[in-house]
Amino acid sequence: MKAEDPEAAAQPQANSVPKPMLIAAGIQKAFDRTRALAGADLDIYPGEVLGLLGANGAGKSTLSKVISGHLTRDDGSITLQERPLNLRSAREAIEYGITMVMQETSLAPDLSVLENVFLAELGRPGLLSYRRLKRRAEEILDRLGQKETLPLDREVRLLSAAQRQLVEIAKALALNSTLIIFDEPTASLSPPEVERLFQVMTNLKRSGHTLVFVSHRLEEVFAITDRVTVMREGRTVAKSLDTASLRQAELIRLMVGQEIKSVPANSATKAAKSPRTRVFEVKHLSSAPAVRDVSLTVHKGEIVGLGGLVGAGRSETVEAIFGLRLRQNGELFLDGKEYAPRRAGDAIRAGIGFVAEDRRIQGIVPDFSVRENLLLGHLAASRKFGLGYSQRKVKLDELIEKLGLPAERLDTNMLNFSGGMQQKIIIARWLLLEPSLLILDEPTKGVDIGTRTSIYSMLRHVAEAGVGVIVVSSDFEELLSLCERIVVISDGVSIADVPSAMLNEEKLTLFAAPRTSMEQNSAVLRDIAHDLNGAAFWTLVDQDRLFCLYAAVTNDQADPGFRAGDTPMISDTRIPAALSRRSDALVLEAENQLGTLLLSVLSDRGHDMGWIGVTLDGRSPLPSAEQLRGRIEGFLGRIVKPQ
Amino acid sequence: MKTERINPINAERSLVSELVGRLEIRMLALALALGAALSILSPHFLTSNNLLNVLDQSVAVGIVAIGMTFVILIGGIDLSVGSVAGLTGVLLGRGLEHLVIPVAIVLAVLAGMTIGLFSGFLIARFGLPAFVVTLGVMAIGRSLAYIFSGATAIADLPENFGNIVYTSILGVPAHVLTLLVLYALAWTYLNFTKGGRTVYAIGSNREAARTAGLNVLAFSILPYVISGGLSAVAITFASAQVMSIDPLAGTGLELDAIAAVVIGGASLYGGRGSIVGTLIGVLIMVMIRNGLNLLNVSPFWQGSAIGAVIITAVLIERLLSSRAFSR
Repeated sequence: MKAEDPEAAAQPQANSVPKPMLIAAGIQKAFDRTRALAGADLDIYPGEVLGLLGANGAGKSTLSKVISGHLTRDDGSITLQERPLNLRSAREAIEYGITMVMQETSLAPDLSVLENVFLAELGRPGLLSYRRLKRRAEEILDRLGQKETLPLDREVRLLSAAQRQLVEIAKALALNSTLIIFDEPTASLSPPEVERLFQVMTNLKRSGHTLVFVSHRLEEVFAITDRVTVMREGRTVAKSLDTASLRQAELIRLMVGQEIKSVPANSATKAAKSPRTRVFEVKHLSSAPAVRDVSLTVHKGEIVGLGGLVGAGRSETVEAIFGLRLRQNGELFLDGKEYAPRRAGDAIRAGIGFVAEDRRIQGIVPDFSVRENLLLGHLAASRKFGLGYSQRKVKLDELIEKLGLPAERLDTNMLNFSGGMQQKIIIARWLLLEPSLLILDEPTKGVDIGTRTSIYSMLRHVAEAGVGVIVVSSDFEELLSLCERIVVISDGVSIADVPSAMLNEEKLTLFAAPRTSMEQNSAVLRDIAHDLNGAAFWTLVDQDRLFCLYAAVTNDQADPGFRAGDTPMISDTRIPAALSRRSDALVLEAENQLGTLLLSVLSDRGHDMGWIGVTLDGRSPLPSAEQLRGRIEGFLGRIVKPQ
Repeated sequence: MKTERINPINAERSLVSELVGRLEIRMLALALALGAALSILSPHFLTSNNLLNVLDQSVAVGIVAIGMTFVILIGGIDLSVGSVAGLTGVLLGRGLEHLVIPVAIVLAVLAGMTIGLFSGFLIARFGLPAFVVTLGVMAIGRSLAYIFSGATAIADLPENFGNIVYTSILGVPAHVLTLLVLYALAWTYLNFTKGGRTVYAIGSNREAARTAGLNVLAFSILPYVISGGLSAVAITFASAQVMSIDPLAGTGLELDAIAAVVIGGASLYGGRGSIVGTLIGVLIMVMIRNGLNLLNVSPFWQGSAIGAVIITAVLIERLLSSRAFSR
């Protein structure tokens, strides 16, 4: 990656506005012993939408917070309109017209929308004129084009996440901010809400505001930004690249870097081992409201990934498996035996370990020493009255040696260790119990890149020792490199179970697309299949393999031989000729007389999104390709393409 | 695997600073200093009679403070101990009219535990604030104490009821011995059993305890049961000391018990504190009272002195812990 010349990349297009309004250079920031920023640069040009892109933990949020005064920098310089800017608080930043719309909103939940929008003014002396405030608020919402979506007298705690975000934006406008930084604004939004947010952002840009859009989602960055700055490991690796000139692969390379790219190799190759014994199986699990129908299996020594978007129900799924959530439905089997945990203690005694998503809230007991934190799982598993710590001593000594943890630090406070080491200790908590299944939810969240690799190798060793491992992660790259198989969950339903060797980030994204669009698309395909009395499907094709996203079959005679979530070889389907040829014509299979027409699907930005196919029974007379295309084109307008 | 960078502050910790860092040691030093000061100021302080007196005065609040320590360790509070003591005392008095002494005592303790179970269940199962639930129980308890006693003191207790206090074993009165045994049991339980460590884990991080599979519900209720039961034990000894049971007995006991636990270094947020610290806290409080009496200071000053100690203790604890845990 070093070949990327940051100087060359730094040159914006010649015809753009010449001078940046804000320049941040060499920003450094450390928390405790973790270096969040190690020389980050950022230029913001007036009136642009700048995408600040990077993987989790790259330092995007920290840099945004430094610029918006929420954090003070350790080193480096910031200039605003060619004058040095040394902010001491977010309040001061507001005076300079800089506001940040935070991930977790900073609203007062018991006050009304109106009061929140003008929260800063509530602190001024004198009486408030609610009538005047109301008029101003309406004006602001009007400018955002969101007058209808936000009732001004509603209490904020009653609002949806998307509405709260609007309040935050309105609040920024009430303060006359010119530069608004959006920190991962789409993280908790549904696709239509994302669409609306983008509309709002477009309106803001049109009215002369400068926006920074922080994200790790490429598609969104492509959709909304003018320029992109990419960060990795606390540094800026590419500055103000012109979005229009970028390709996705290039951005991924910038975000991820080479170090990580070298990791994937070994897991994928191991996938093709002899059949192994099943450690764990779950069938049709449901746990309201987030988990609706999830099935998955884990074999001995296998790392299975649970992929999907935030809010798809992955964490809820593993929590239900671990007995932390009530289940309405579903059969669970552990080591071939039926297993029905009513609380986490049952799961632990049955041989399951669970590393929860939020280490600080769900993992660490802060007043306990490292030793007692390690032995917490043992405590839960034990049915004794006493502690029984001694029975684990041998295993404990062995583990801490593997962790590289000096024995004399075993009785010191856990909080003195880095996030990565803390995470390893929490993982070791379960290894101590020698579980048959280990579940990890976002195991590398907030962990620096070096430790991340060592956590990966730790998990691989665990799997090699015969433990089944489930990893939940929003980081697709991580899933692809670490897991042998990936089960994709979308809106509470497991919709695909695919060896990761067959996947890449784009395919995973398509599989993970929210169910709302999926249901609509399935409906469209069902309509087509019904209209033509055949089958309709949407699939990706990669060399000689198929990735079926949706399929609808109304005439069994015209069954193409695959369903949603299936990934068969082309030769194993009932329409191999059509799929391998992928021509404009209606292809008739010699073997079974199935006629298939494939239409290529492109995203609004011209990205390849696979094929929509229609299969008909060729024993009855077939329409011509043109006729067929004409008949289904009307339906295709209703297809929702994943962002 | 990478080796961990070691926090320099921690690495250089010597034995001395380790000891000073231990809260109990600091509090013990304070207690000893207080004792030394008092024995210099008053010739009567360091007499065996007076020291027994100090212990004698410690028994009721000391026993209640054990239960309060459990409750505060899980991050709760029990305001009802005083009126639970009053109510169970009255029940004991009524019981003694018909039953043999041990049975009456056991029933009173069971009644206290039942009340604790009630509060604990409401708090742990429905997530109600401990402050509010025990405030309600406090009012109910005192009201029932008046009703069951007919609002008068019960003075016609059996002659030998006083024996539970005035019997002494190896020169130590039975109730003081009970106090020490209860502290030893509580210390063992909190440090060397699964239940005790679960109590600490819940107080330190309830969500992590739940996620790690500990039985959070049961061990969130248990402290209130212990607290209720020990309130009854405390009032039993207190009644035997004066051979009379008053429906007003135990008024203000909750504040003394909380004060002792807090002076003993426990955090009201839970997870931090020790039973030894509580014992020292009880002794410091009783010593201040006793010392001010011996020095003929107006009893009205006692409140100010104890209040000052409480605030100082909490302030010191905060300053020390913010240094230890700041990031």
